[in-house]
Formats: sequence, structure tokens, C-alpha cells
Amino acid sequence: MKQEDKLKIQAWMDGELAPKEAAQIATLIEQNPEALALSEELRVVENALHLGEKPAILDDSRDFYWSQVERQIDAEEPLAEPYAVPTIASGTLLRWLVPVGSLGAIVVLMVNFDAMNPNPSISAPGITMETPPAAPSGLTEPAGVLEEAGTEPDGMGVINFQGSQGSRHLTDPEDPNTLPESIENPDR
Amino acid sequence: MAKKLDIPNAEDEALVRAAQKGAMPPYEELVHRHRDKIYARAFSMLRNEDEALDLSQEAWVKGWQRLKQFKHNASFTTWMTRICINLCLDFLRKRKRKQTDSLDQMEEETGGVERRMPVEEFNPTENVEREELRSQIDEGLAKLSYEHRTVLILHEFERLEYKEIAKAMHCSIGTVMSRLFYARRKLATLLISLKKERQE
Repeated sequence: MKQEDKLKIQAWMDGELAPKEAAQIATLIEQNPEALALSEELRVVENALHLGEKPAILDDSRDFYWSQVERQIDAEEPLAEPYAVPTIASGTLLRWLVPVGSLGAIVVLMVNFDAMNPNPSISAPGITMETPPAAPSGLTEPAGVLEEAGTEPDGMGVINFQGSQGSRHLTDPEDPNTLPESIENPDR
Repeated sequence: MAKKLDIPNAEDEALVRAAQKGAMPPYEELVHRHRDKIYARAFSMLRNEDEALDLSQEAWVKGWQRLKQFKHNASFTTWMTRICINLCLDFLRKRKRKQTDSLDQMEEETGGVERRMPVEEFNPTENVEREELRSQIDEGLAKLSYEHRTVLILHEFERLEYKEIAKAMHCSIGTVMSRLFYARRKLATLLISLKKERQE
């Protein structure tokens, strides 16, 4: 007997065949002993299963079982509310907040620096004007060449924040010594 | 004036309607009434007490969260059982992905083994006590792979049609038919060997 016919015998027993095909399979079972034996075997299993399943009983008490379910319900419910907030914050707002905030901080620092140091020729505490050092080797132009060029007005040069040397960092918000003087003493 | 619900004596439907309005005590009563049935379904599919306990509780949590979607078209227990079955199927699928199929399992999948099984003419259920037979069926089910066991459970105990099983198990109707055929034939063989073992 073909595998397809075996599957059809099963489908016939389960009531899954169309009437025309069901009639064909019924005839096959009547005429073919192998088909009949198979249908009987499947019927025995089906009848056995219809006795039902072996019952499975929970050992946990009613209160304990419910307390576990309730705790999970409580734990998952507060999640529903904040969903809307992070979508906006993390999606659009945060994307722009970081660069705009950084730019703002740079602008504030520049404005404060100008207020603190209106005359760039006078060194502010912690800030010195540095002339380019003489190159120790032929890798860069010697200091004399730069001096000769003389294109820069007095007082212009590379700004060196002494405070940023060593272990101190001007941008460290935890270190009050790194704040510009105008912020530390706004009356000045 | 609204009549106060007598929770211990109320029908399931009244409890569900009250719970759908957000009342927790009626839901607690529903959990108490049907927790064994839901746990039993999870256990029959997973064959592990701890996993069945966890998943049955998860089913009740999901039931509460989706209670407003319940339209009273079927009974509440049928609806809850479907939630439990879906959770079990997800769990078993995830677990299966982590395991490598044995050669036997692969052969079962392709439906090769049952072709070599002789048709049994000896009735394994004859002269067997009801409880004894239930135990034998339980033992036989435990020996099937999860795909075969699940198909059998969904068809025989949940009375689902082939197309409904195919949808739940994400497979074709043809696969459902061959899995069911293999599962039944394998179960017949197991029942016979169990009966012979106990007779000896």
C-alpha cells in the first residue's frame, strides 16, 4: 500500500476527507486487508487516547500559586506607561540634544574666555602666550624663519592652557580649579 | 444599583466580565478554578514539572494582559489553553533550535520509520484497567518527540483540525498528517511493548 493511501486512511478516520475521496477510501478498507488492519490499529490508539490524559495536579497551594502570578502581573504592568517617553527622548530628542548641547557649551566657553581675557596680550592666570619653540632638528622650520616672516601681530600665538597639563583637565566638572575665573568669581 | 458579584459561586463568564473591567479578585478565582488544567496541558507538552509550572504561570499573566481581547466566542478555559499551548510551542521551538537533531529524530521528521513498523493486530488496550491504560499512554507520549506528541495532543485532546494544527505549529498540512500518522503508529507499538513488559 502506498504511503499516500495510508495517510488518507488516517484522514478518513479523522473526518478530514472530502465526501468523494472518503467514499474511495471506505471501499479500499473493505477490499484491502492491509488497509483494514491499519485502520483497526489506528482506531485502537484513538480509542485509548479518548480515555483521556493522566491528570497532572499542582503541588503548590492556591495562595502561593496566585501570589507568583500576581507578582509577575505587577512587575510587568508599570512597564506600559513609560513606553511613550523613551521613544521620543531616545529617538529624536536625544539625537539632537547631544550635538546641540556640546555646541552650546563651546559657545559659552568662548564667550566666557573673551570676557575673562579682553586683551589677549596680557596673560590670564593659568594661560600663557607661547611663541613657537625652535625646532630641535630639521623636521620643521627653525624658529628664526617664523620670526622673520613677522606676519602675526604681537601677542598672537599658540594658546597654551597650562591647567590642562599634567593630571588636571579644564573640562573636568568635578574640579573647581578648572573653572574660568569669571565663573568662579562672577563679581570680577 | 449594580449587584455585587458572589465570586466563589459565580459562573466563569461573569468572573471574566468582571475581570475584563479590571477587577483582580474574579481573575484570582478563575486561576484557582482552572490552574490544574492549564498546568496539565503545559506538562503534557513539556514533560517537565518546573518548566510546566513556569509556563502555566506565564500563561495566566498573558491571560490577564490580553483579557480585554477575549470575545467570549469560546469558553474561557479553551482560550486560556490556547495561550498556554502557544507559549509551550514557542518555548519548545526555541529549545529545539539549540539542540542538534539526532538521526532518529530526523528520520521521524521525514516519515521514514513508520514505513518499517508492522501493523499491529494485537490489541494493546484489551483487558487493561482504565487508570493503567492512562499511565501507559502517558508513558508512551513521553517517549515521542515534541513534534509528534504535540500533534497528537492538539488533535486528540484539543480536538483541533489539521489546518489549525498546521497554523499553530508553523508547518504544512502534509507535515501534520505524517507526524500524526507516525505518532499514532509509534504509540501503538509502545503500548504493545508496555503491555508485554507488564505481562512478563
